[in-house]
Amino acid sequence: MRALRLTAAVAVLALLGLLVWDVAHSSGGKVARDVDKGQIVKAPTFNLPLVDGNSKLSLASLRGKVVVLNFWASDCVPCKQEQGELNRLAAKYSPQGVVFLGIDEIEVRSFAQHYLKHYKVPYQSVADGDGAIAGKYGVTGTPETFFIDRSGRAVPPHIVAQAQPSDVEAGIERALKA
Amino acid sequence: MTRFTVLLALMALVVAALVVALPASASENHPTQAELEAMLICPSCHVPLDESNAPIAQQMKSFIAQRIAQGETRSQIIDELVGPPNNLGTAVLGVPRTHGFDLLAWLLPIGGIALGAVAIGAGAWKWSSGRDDPAPAALDSELDRRVDEELARFDG
Repeated sequence: MRALRLTAAVAVLALLGLLVWDVAHSSGGKVARDVDKGQIVKAPTFNLPLVDGNSKLSLASLRGKVVVLNFWASDCVPCKQEQGELNRLAAKYSPQGVVFLGIDEIEVRSFAQHYLKHYKVPYQSVADGDGAIAGKYGVTGTPETFFIDRSGRAVPPHIVAQAQPSDVEAGIERALKA
Repeated sequence: MTRFTVLLALMALVVAALVVALPASASENHPTQAELEAMLICPSCHVPLDESNAPIAQQMKSFIAQRIAQGETRSQIIDELVGPPNNLGTAVLGVPRTHGFDLLAWLLPIGGIALGAVAIGAGAWKWSSGRDDPAPAALDSELDRRVDEELARFDG
């Protein structure tokens, strides 16, 4: 009977440990909320496969550069509508060390590859297949755009829905000055 | 039990195993679109693929059709949706996989039921072995005499 009690106690403790671990590792999508309040917060890191390649790209590898992080999906109409302007702005700000990076959310890879080719996207995109990174940033739909400064911090604004060029430029300027 | 009966029972077991194994093997090697759509879940709307028209569900259906046409097995198609190149994760699985970490999802309930059965069995055994049956009460002599008299009437 004592062994049984001990086993039950160990099982309960293990389950509690799992719960604590889960809570500790869940950012709960605070980034979008905090940035919307005007705060500057650490951008969750990631290391995701490139949509049109076999290698991976980590956010940490872009430290020292301003990153425009655009969450998109190939079936998203506003993503298609803003794509031309994002392409133009990526070329405009590239000399200043600003990197545009797309994060393709929950898609079959070939559809995302087709989108990149069709819209002649000049910058890289990574695949967030299960939406885990979108969850960490607090993304609720596509498109959404974040601005990350040279220190890896997300700075306001956080653009929800189709980005206007003036908003993107304001975000880049803010990140460059942060 | 004769040797013949044992042989017959063994043959029945083999036939039963074949009846179960052959369709499973056929389904693994030559999966159908409907079967895979019923097994997989739309990761954005969380309903079976065959009940969803979400964009990602349509992409997955298209991917499955393409891979079936290429002659891939059921496991290959599922692995390519869960892992590389699509990396949609285990959220697309209708049931947990039977290997790796997911195996816990199968083992834990079975282990829990087994532990519960052992606990109930041990409790019942302890309860029944700890209970002493009361000793039969001795008849008092007056009652004993009356019973003897009554029985004597039937002796004829």
